Amino acid sequence: MAAAALRPAILRRIRLSPSPAAAAGAAAASQPHALARWLARPMSSHDAHLTRDEVVDRLLDVLKCHPKVDPSKVSPEAHFEKDLGLDSLDTVEVVMAIEEEFKLEIPDQEADKIDSLPLAIEYVANHPMAA
Amino acid sequence: MASRSKLSGIQRQVLALYRGFLRTARLKSPEERHRIESVVSAEFHENARNIDRKNFVYIEYLLRRGKKQLEQLKDPDITGLSTLEINKASLH
Repeated sequence: MAAAALRPAILRRIRLSPSPAAAAGAAAASQPHALARWLARPMSSHDAHLTRDEVVDRLLDVLKCHPKVDPSKVSPEAHFEKDLGLDSLDTVEVVMAIEEEFKLEIPDQEADKIDSLPLAIEYVANHPMAA
Repeated sequence: MASRSKLSGIQRQVLALYRGFLRTARLKSPEERHRIESVVSAEFHENARNIDRKNFVYIEYLLRRGKKQLEQLKDPDITGLSTLEINKASLH
């Protein structure tokens, strides 16, 4: 009888589950880098994903900053060689500048393919690590 | 000029080497980086202008030389590019 009376009380104790906060804390402790990355996020102005407009704007700026580019010719449709008059070496410089702007490392094979703003926009907008 | 999809193997090698120099320059101090970038950029653009694109023997030679110079530059103890500057100076 006494045991039956105690049962609810015991069950209530046993069912104490870790609070969400404690669980998050444990997860964070097991993944210190993830926590650090999460903490660093507010430092950058971007959340999970960049908007396409933002990608386009920043890419246009990168192009306009290249010494050989006439800023008035830069448009989201511009081809590096045909429209902006860049050669393949200039294009390497531009793609490297894009890497730095979005904190990416673009492998050579991919980088060799990026020869226009539409392709650059496509690449950066679809890149999960672009920041 | 050929479209990018038609880059030849040797062109791709040159661009990869150029990229390698620019990547390595990022690892140096800001002022050294700037100097490396301008020297390397000038050298590549100058050679692109002046060397016949069919002169494979010479381009291959420059590629080999450039790769060796890049390996040296990658050494963290090496901060600058004085060898390239001397090479350039001796050309004039």
